Amino acid sequence: MGVMAKSQIHMEVNGKRVSVEVEPQELLVDVLRERLGLTGTKVGCREGECGACSVLFDGRVVPSCLIPAMKTDGREITTIEGLEQNGELHPLQREFLNRGAVQCGFCTPGMLLSAKNLLDENPKPTLQQIREAISGVLCRCTGYQKIIQAIQAVSETMEGKKV
Amino acid sequence: MEKREKKKVLVKEKLLKMPPVADELSIVGRSAIRIDAYDKVRGKLKYGADLEYPDALVGKVLRSPYPHALIKRIEIEKARRLPGVSVVLTAEHVPGRNGFGAVIPDQPVLCGDKVRYVGDGVALVAAETEEIAVQALDLIEVEYEPLPAVFSPIEALRPEASKVHAKGNLLMTARIRKGDVEKGFEEADLILERTYSVPFLEHFYIEPDVTCAIPHPDGTITVKGPMQAPFTVRRNIAPVLGIPINKVQVVQTPLGGGFGGKEDSSIDIGARAALLAWHTKKAVRMEYDREEITLSTAKRHPMVIQCKIGVKKDGTLLAFEGRIYNEQGAYASLGPVIPPAGGTHVHAVVMLPGPYVIPNINVDGYLVYTNHPYGGAMRGFGAPQVNFVHESLIDELAEGLGMDPYDLRMKNSFQLGSETATGQILDQSVGLKDTMEKAKEAFNWKEKWRPAPDLEELEKEEKRKGVGMALGWYRTSIGTSSDGCGANLHLLEDGSVLLYQGITEMGQGAYTVLSQIAAEALGVAIEDVRVITPDTDVVPEAGPTVGSRSTTLMGNAILMAAEMIKKPLLESASDLLGIPPNRLIAKNRFIYDREDPTRCIELRDAAKRSMAMGRRMLGQGWYTPPQPSLNLETGQGSPYFVYTYCTQMAEVEVDIKTGAVEVVKIVAAFDVGKAINPVLVEAQIEGGIMMGLGYALMEGLILKEGVIQNLNFQDCMIPTALDAPEITPIMIEHPTIHGPFGAKGIGEMPNIPTAPAITNAIANAIGVRIYDLPAHRERVSMGIKGRLETRI
Repeated sequence: MGVMAKSQIHMEVNGKRVSVEVEPQELLVDVLRERLGLTGTKVGCREGECGACSVLFDGRVVPSCLIPAMKTDGREITTIEGLEQNGELHPLQREFLNRGAVQCGFCTPGMLLSAKNLLDENPKPTLQQIREAISGVLCRCTGYQKIIQAIQAVSETMEGKKV
Repeated sequence: MEKREKKKVLVKEKLLKMPPVADELSIVGRSAIRIDAYDKVRGKLKYGADLEYPDALVGKVLRSPYPHALIKRIEIEKARRLPGVSVVLTAEHVPGRNGFGAVIPDQPVLCGDKVRYVGDGVALVAAETEEIAVQALDLIEVEYEPLPAVFSPIEALRPEASKVHAKGNLLMTARIRKGDVEKGFEEADLILERTYSVPFLEHFYIEPDVTCAIPHPDGTITVKGPMQAPFTVRRNIAPVLGIPINKVQVVQTPLGGGFGGKEDSSIDIGARAALLAWHTKKAVRMEYDREEITLSTAKRHPMVIQCKIGVKKDGTLLAFEGRIYNEQGAYASLGPVIPPAGGTHVHAVVMLPGPYVIPNINVDGYLVYTNHPYGGAMRGFGAPQVNFVHESLIDELAEGLGMDPYDLRMKNSFQLGSETATGQILDQSVGLKDTMEKAKEAFNWKEKWRPAPDLEELEKEEKRKGVGMALGWYRTSIGTSSDGCGANLHLLEDGSVLLYQGITEMGQGAYTVLSQIAAEALGVAIEDVRVITPDTDVVPEAGPTVGSRSTTLMGNAILMAAEMIKKPLLESASDLLGIPPNRLIAKNRFIYDREDPTRCIELRDAAKRSMAMGRRMLGQGWYTPPQPSLNLETGQGSPYFVYTYCTQMAEVEVDIKTGAVEVVKIVAAFDVGKAINPVLVEAQIEGGIMMGLGYALMEGLILKEGVIQNLNFQDCMIPTALDAPEITPIMIEHPTIHGPFGAKGIGEMPNIPTAPAITNAIANAIGVRIYDLPAHRERVSMGIKGRLETRI
């Protein structure tokens, strides 16, 4: 046993406190998907390259396939399921819908969370800043253009305010 | 009484919002929001990997580390004895046919005597957990005797080459013989001869392959996962297990991308999971990880293509000669012909001369087995490779003639009545020149284009901009006789509708477009149509979701099905309105008098009456497209019944020092026949172009001694948002008589001419021609150095 012991972690996921007993090698993505049933977080490569598993970790976007679950003790995690508020779509979700920024949908959660992270930190990003912010999430369907346009549209309606 | 009056007023108000002309479309042609998007943006849609199978075993494949080797001995006892291992299988455990494949079943489910590429399946394990399954794979001992391997099609055609399959390495030859090429070249003022090469490409759909096979006590088996061709999967699993086709149920899960790749891979993983389930009598779940997918699944075919083209001084094309060495890799997959004109190879041969009128043509195409991964379907199906060739060639020809490449293309490109390389007369829906003009205007081509710089100019600057263009054409559907497509449409008594159809949703928006067609045809709203998930036990045979065929073929099948229920529906409405059925129009949930639209009822009242009267509520459609023809000896015939056309123009900026290329802008105009949902068409255009940009500049597998060196996203780059240019999609509608509302296919076309548009722009920027894809910075930089050195 010793160092390989399981440990109890407490985190806040989508605004709710949860406690999970995790193995030392267990990854955040697996805790979210398998223990908490939050399958909106996708797995595309398990190598931190595709961004499909992106979640917000204390507000910052990270690939959850690279994060040991133990490191999330006491932290706040937001997954795609946490983006809606009281049954209302987040403005980013709405614009993704309206502007055709969703195709197969597999990158969509990572894209939305990366965009949220960006607009939370920088409500008026330039085109290049938008590109950089979502460059960690690979999309093979859209060509990125409609995703970028959706983010720009939200940024414009926010008028510098937080959403 | 009063209530009825009120209802009538309400109906009239609603009617005011309807289009005044009865025949005007109200749903088709509008950008309805995709019906699956709401669940997708909330992370609620369940993909294959999200489904829970609590008691399922985990299946794993042991793969060959050798490109070509005899299997002398396989020792599975140790693995079998590992606690938690349910079963270990080798070739001898396949109860039926030990082979699968989309065309020829030449790929073993498990290799028995020899392996033919690195990644070939040798043994299977099913265990209680992933860890145990992986451990068990390590305990299987395989003794190989390596054989000499062949790694290029040209090498594989040599008489002394090691044979990949017993019947030899040449899988098939296809040719075009038209006119007299010798005479054509004699009359030419300028002749150009060039050789091009394109690499293996991985699809890199973001969702990994995953499947679960579930056996049932009655001997049937269910296979569930993301697939592009559930009926092909069913057709392959049944003989492997030695059971009738009706005992295999294949159920579709939503695809996280496919691009042609999940046509083959779903057969592979499906057959293997089914075999494990058959032996264990338990559900078996299998998932291929990212590197395993790149290692083992189908790719875009690499090709080496030699070409010669002859032209008169005035730009009239006279003769074309081409030789394609098309590398099939280890297994046939979708390479060989599916009569008369299906299969990647025939398609590549037929498309090689491009969308140009050329009176004299010879093409020979060799499809060759090697000990590499195998080529299959990937967005464009043989066309992106040959499009790079004809569009590079014609561009260089224009340079040789001192012409604007736009003008040379305009002079020779297809129009209504043109004869293709196969002798087909294009007698309808040919909007190619229209796309050229629209693209030219939007791009401002005539202002932007100027000849490539001379050496002095090139040395002056650090970065140079250039523009390039390319044309493209692509068939709708697959050129095979076996191309039927069925649909069932069930109207229910409240006016809602169930659509039973087998085209899979892989992100392209098929469910939305097909719902729009069904709603338009029946006169209901798009929300009234529920698309039943493709399940081969429930939906009729639809063929595969490939070849840009879904909208056109399934659309037609739906229209036929709708017609069958609409007649009795209008009879019911006629009963209620006292107006003859032939004067009635069903639209937007109402049925009304063509001559006096205020006389109307709600559609659901007519549906209720139909039900009450026992009238037909179920419509069935089975659409067979016009029969294709092609003589494989002469390459003459009408291989495909209609084509989509496009023009793409690219602006690039090349860094002279580093060779880095930035694509600034792409304008792309398409003749789509009819855009059923314009935003979804735009999405296909933008996404296809981005994939084409990857083909142009960065993608391509690197193989050494049969081993892929760049298996993952880190080593094999695909475009990110940082590479995204500004894309201007333009849609032009030259409707086809064969399409629903005139629609042709759009899924693949956008992906095809992007690479040559970009490489032609590179040539225009720096005077360096690219003959081998991708044009990565080292290659471009070497080209620049080479050019600068010529001055010494």
